[in-house]
Amino acid sequence: MTARRRRVTAAAVGSLCWLFAVGTASAHGGSLAAGGRESLTIPTWLFLSTGGAAVGASFLLASFVTDRSFVERVHSWGTPLVDGGVRIPRLLGRTVGLLGLAAVLVVGFLGPTTPRTNLAILLVWVGWWAGLAMTTYLVGNSWRVLNPLSTLALVLPSLDRDYPERLGAWPSVVGLLALVWLEVVSPLADDARLLATVVLGYSVLTLAGAVVFGRETWFDDVDPVERVFRYYGRVAPVGRRGDGSLHLRLPGIALSERRLVDGADEVAFVVALLWVTTYDGLVTTPGWRDLTTPLVDAGLPAHLLYPLALLAGFALFLGVYRLAVRASTRTAETYLAPDELAERFAPPLLAIAAGYHFAHYLGYFLFLAPALGAATLAPFADPVSVPVYQLPGWFGGVALASVVVGHLLAIWVAHAAAFDLFPSRLQAIRSQYPFVAVMVFYTMTSLWVVSRPEVPLPHL
Amino acid sequence: MTDHDYDVPADAPAYECAYCDRPFAREEWLALHRGLDHPDELDDDEVAAFRAAYAEEEEELGTFRLQALGALVAIYFVLLMIYALV
Ligand SMILES: [Zn+2]
Repeated sequence: MTARRRRVTAAAVGSLCWLFAVGTASAHGGSLAAGGRESLTIPTWLFLSTGGAAVGASFLLASFVTDRSFVERVHSWGTPLVDGGVRIPRLLGRTVGLLGLAAVLVVGFLGPTTPRTNLAILLVWVGWWAGLAMTTYLVGNSWRVLNPLSTLALVLPSLDRDYPERLGAWPSVVGLLALVWLEVVSPLADDARLLATVVLGYSVLTLAGAVVFGRETWFDDVDPVERVFRYYGRVAPVGRRGDGSLHLRLPGIALSERRLVDGADEVAFVVALLWVTTYDGLVTTPGWRDLTTPLVDAGLPAHLLYPLALLAGFALFLGVYRLAVRASTRTAETYLAPDELAERFAPPLLAIAAGYHFAHYLGYFLFLAPALGAATLAPFADPVSVPVYQLPGWFGGVALASVVVGHLLAIWVAHAAAFDLFPSRLQAIRSQYPFVAVMVFYTMTSLWVVSRPEVPLPHL
Repeated sequence: MTDHDYDVPADAPAYECAYCDRPFAREEWLALHRGLDHPDELDDDEVAAFRAAYAEEEEELGTFRLQALGALVAIYFVLLMIYALV
């Protein structure tokens, strides 16, 4: 068994290195803010097939690991870090969060109007949505403590109205789609006044919700932002146990746990998260522009096109996932209800979403991080030029590699979840066939988007 | 493990676990399930059934591994050839 495992590991490492080499040599995609990306030196179809084949091959490699006790050892590995009741970091975190919100509002309304020198814009997009989100799946979810709205809600009274249980996580699905639509179509990254207005509006809405339904209910069920960070945090190596203590685990491993996603609403949220990260990149590809130009020319209003495409893509991703679940009940010949499978195999998709987010935002973050630093030191200065970090030429390879790594993690975690769910190991492997097909489809879509040059948002 | 939802077609064979009522499409899977999830409650016959099902599965896995290895080699060589030609 050990000799075989060593061979398997060697083969896995070999095929990965090969893929990285291909990615590094051929593509310089993914560095969004840098511009001037070179096109691929190999045909796109071959590049996409290689990515798809790597995912398929890694599934085959994972299927060689059939030793249940080995899988369980990998997944139960962990070590406690600190126990609950550490109050000073929490107070500090809450203060930092409140200062951040205050900075966004004050500098947003009163600061310089150039996007790259305005602290509000840099803090929200570079510091928070790119940087903090990355630390959430790479290290752990600190937003739970930092979230300034959650801190403010602590001191507000609560009416404790009953939250309608049947709504579940659906309001957060709608909220996530709405936020991404707003982010894509409105100049929130260019207009500091508008950004501050939206942040203020969102804060008022959130605090009102927390007052009506209670802070716990609102942030656990309804608030889409809190849920995004909570879900990303499940990919991270630092997690929180029920008693509040922090512990260390292998990255992504916790995604195979039972009851991580509960109900069709939470499954929909995971799929929505995966879809919006794709949509965000998709709308700035030349392919999207070419595809939609005839539609807009034919009279479809552009402000209808974007929300329609957002909803249609979400329906497609969710439909494909539901089909995979149906197919899985057949390939595994199981009598478990399809909903059980849908819930159990949704969390691995979070690793894919995280890998794609990393591919999409790492370059953006590194490029603008010096500008964020400069704006933090002098929030009301409006310098003519801002410091930026020029990314090296090989950087596109990192973006492509992170898309693939996200999928490899997802394949492994789904493999472990299947072993936990089915008594027969062959049945567990067969249950994964439809999901692997779906993951190959998602990988090829993501790689295609990441490898395209970025064009300005068309028609708006 | 007892809080699963099931969806058993009316005309399909179902072997139900005596300990937790979970239905399976094959008798071997029921035997495997009993050994994995209720190891302390089994009688001698059930232990023997688990061992037999496990050994049989080990054999099927061997066949599967050969097929998977074949598929891996095929993927590798197809891509290798394409890269040589393009
Ligand atoms: Zn049972």
